[in-house]
Amino acid sequence: MAVDADVVRLRRGDLNALSELITRYQNRLYRYLLRIVRQPAEAEDLFQQTWLRVVEKIRSFDASRNFDAWLFTLARNLAIDHLRRIRPQSLDEPLANSWHSETVADRISCKDHTPLDHALAAERRTGISEAMARLPMMYREVLTLRFEDEMKIEEIAQVTAVPVSTVKSRLRRSLEQLRYALEAR
Amino acid sequence: MSEHDKIRELLALAAADALTSAEEKQVAEHVRSCIACSNELWAWRPIASELRRLPTPQPSSWLVQATLARAEAKLAEQAEHDWNRRVMIVLVAFAWLLTIASWPVFHFVSGRFGSSLEPQFSHTWISFAAFTALGWLAGGVAAVMLAIRQRGERRLA
Repeated sequence: MAVDADVVRLRRGDLNALSELITRYQNRLYRYLLRIVRQPAEAEDLFQQTWLRVVEKIRSFDASRNFDAWLFTLARNLAIDHLRRIRPQSLDEPLANSWHSETVADRISCKDHTPLDHALAAERRTGISEAMARLPMMYREVLTLRFEDEMKIEEIAQVTAVPVSTVKSRLRRSLEQLRYALEAR
Repeated sequence: MSEHDKIRELLALAAADALTSAEEKQVAEHVRSCIACSNELWAWRPIASELRRLPTPQPSSWLVQATLARAEAKLAEQAEHDWNRRVMIVLVAFAWLLTIASWPVFHFVSGRFGSSLEPQFSHTWISFAAFTALGWLAGGVAAVMLAIRQRGERRLA
């Protein structure tokens, strides 16, 4: 596996390398944290904490490992510690009030062309987002890592520190619950 | 569990592209001859497709800038910490060297260089040991006080 040049530079204390890495991962990392904690303010705080943890731990990072998986593992550990402190019940159970917000950036990123397409697609995505937000944390996590971050099953297993078979089982159950929620709407 | 049931459990994962090549082959062969599973697979496709197209929430530029600023401060703090550690190592090594080297010098100056080869608990040796112990004790106390102060400053920062 090729060693990421920015990671190597960051290990030497190069601030520009950190800037490059934050720029590269900002959307993926923020989205992942937001899917886990569901509150933008908490996701923002965890986003900052994750990068501070990266700076703190980068020297102990094994360059032969996958940086993506390492970064998301750090973020996950911080998010789970945070949820344990603030809302321990949210680790296992869905929230009664789902979180969903469509930002201006979300609307800009929409690829649909006609107003009708736009409206229908927006409705579908709203439905999926709302249904996903109601799922337990473990299911939301596996869905976002697989479909939004497009991580391989093995990478998800690394991030979540569970066997590949468990990841597959969580993925299947999360899809089934999501489909059930969509059909119940 | 029948072959049909086994395949049916794999259909959601097939839509998620999460099957091994052997499983993919099994599913492909089965859905060719099973209309129910074929329909089921097609029911999963739009869900998987919509999940892949969910809008990505983006962090504000303020957040990125604030993160960089905090990370910069952390990097500077770490660099200072590393520098202090290196200085401390050099100082400790130097102090040891000085202590060891001062023994023969001390005896030479006191006109008892020859007797240093056969050490005795003379008045000179006791004075020297007390002086060394006092020096190390003062150094230790200073190091502890410095560490407490630095920790306090870090907590306030």
